[in-house]
Amino acid sequence: MAARDIYAPGEGAPLGRALLYALMIAIAVAAAFPLAWMVLSSLKTPAEAMQTPPVWIPATPSLDAYGKVTDLINAGRSFVNSAIIAGVTTTGILITSLMAGYAFSKYRFRGRDALFAITIATMFLPPIVTLIPLYRMIGSIGLSASLAGVILPNLANAFGIFLMRQFVAGVPDELLEAARLDGASEMRIVFTIVAPAVAPALAALALFAFVYHWNSYLWPLTVLQGNSDQYPIVISLSRLLSYNRSAVNTNLVMAGATLAVLPPLILFVFLQRFFVRTVTASGMGGQ
Amino acid sequence: MPISKSTPFRMTAFRRSIVTMLVPSLGPIAVFVLVPIALTIGLSFTKWSTQTPFATASFIGLDNYAEIFSASSVGRDFKGALSNTALYSALSIALLLPLSVAFGLLVHQARLKGAEVLRTILFATYMVPMIAVALVFSKLYSPTEGPINQMLALIGLPRQPWLSSPDTALVSIVLLNVWQQVGYFTILVIAGLTQIPQSVYDAARIDGARGLRLFASITLPLLKRTLLFSAVIALINAVQVFEPVALITQGGPVGSTNVLTYHIRRVGIERAQGGLGSAMSVTLLLALVITVTAVFAFARSEPTGRGAK
Repeated sequence: MAARDIYAPGEGAPLGRALLYALMIAIAVAAAFPLAWMVLSSLKTPAEAMQTPPVWIPATPSLDAYGKVTDLINAGRSFVNSAIIAGVTTTGILITSLMAGYAFSKYRFRGRDALFAITIATMFLPPIVTLIPLYRMIGSIGLSASLAGVILPNLANAFGIFLMRQFVAGVPDELLEAARLDGASEMRIVFTIVAPAVAPALAALALFAFVYHWNSYLWPLTVLQGNSDQYPIVISLSRLLSYNRSAVNTNLVMAGATLAVLPPLILFVFLQRFFVRTVTASGMGGQ
Repeated sequence: MPISKSTPFRMTAFRRSIVTMLVPSLGPIAVFVLVPIALTIGLSFTKWSTQTPFATASFIGLDNYAEIFSASSVGRDFKGALSNTALYSALSIALLLPLSVAFGLLVHQARLKGAEVLRTILFATYMVPMIAVALVFSKLYSPTEGPINQMLALIGLPRQPWLSSPDTALVSIVLLNVWQQVGYFTILVIAGLTQIPQSVYDAARIDGARGLRLFASITLPLLKRTLLFSAVIALINAVQVFEPVALITQGGPVGSTNVLTYHIRRVGIERAQGGLGSAMSVTLLLALVITVTAVFAFARSEPTGRGAK
């Protein structure tokens, strides 16, 4: 059977199936190439990294670079810092977004829509616009150079509220009324009835938030002010810059990059069903 | 029914639950987003060192704005950063939108096995920390031993200087950004495509429309809202580019990659010129608001074609 029209679903085939497959494979290879090259290079010996013409696949894959880079960037400590930043921030976002999403979708009160609109507008604000006063604010409450300072301003965000409002709206009101008649408090309803009902969306939000804050660079760099004990892995990685000048150390730099990439990628592989479905259902994603 | 005044739910208790549910999120957003916006605007009219308390700021009217648009070196650097950011954003959008539509159509062909694998690979790049992307591409782009130039040489194309020349450095960062983000926009396009009812195509086909014609008169107009949203998100993302510049180019060569997020942070945090940096932030915010408003106004005035909402 002929493939469907590339321009519009359901149409007969001006482009053959083979051509479409070739195109798909070409795109997949181009998309995967930088990551594949990163991993392969991390397994090379320094001699192989230097060789011209370049060796694409190392003859004797070696994990030496990982051992070296782990010491160089204080990887253990950095991973713990990243996990604390991303973990605490994500937990905060899940709780605050669920509660606000519930209020915005299930309560009727004056000013609700205006309040929601203002909240959503903050979603489109580039962080640099608030960076300077925020840096001073965190400094003046004594939290600069600390993980608490990195975490505190991010415990709630508009995207989470938007997403939760969207999905909580789909929870039947009868379910909530029944719980109220049984004497359940509003807080109890949110966490024991609404939360399980929107579990897939919560999983997607958790992935969004965790990956975003694991990867986040500008804010931690600004708050931590060179206090390298508190560096998350993405900032520790920039210490490899001085090793980046010479090809001899390519394996070191790529081993470091691989270490930082693995946690978000592994999470993504496990949670991608929720992720794709949620982006598709809500029509957006990001931050 | 949602709770309202009519339900047997005491008004005061109802008020209390609204507050309880909203304060944990709206409180932090007010304190850490809205207050800093107000402060940025206020500080932009002052001379203030970022290393000192807000109270030390002294009012100087529009001097900061005059300075950043003057012919001085401060003005030159800022205007350079503004135009670099505009160029960077325009190029990113110009590449991301068409590519995401092409990839989206390809993946949306449900009858092709393997489409989901492609979607996964495309989206996986979006999960990679920008700092790792920057490190990897700094090696891929290496003029001498970098794999990209090796491959260009292999197929007989001239080697490029990539990040090391003022003519190509900004474009190189755009390409790295497109590589990372195209999967995300592809997912948005797929979401838009799934909402176009098959009946619309069937009707057009009865009218004799085929191939490219169907794409131009149905698919594209019905994707308009998705693409508008994509363009706005791509713009906001483009303005935030920081890691590749901070890590690899430090704004160079000769200022060609000095983009706003990098420049404002350097002025407002590293050089502690808080007032000057705030004026730059406010200018950026205004430029964004104007651009987004103009894009929406343009989209509304544009005839949407057959079948569009």
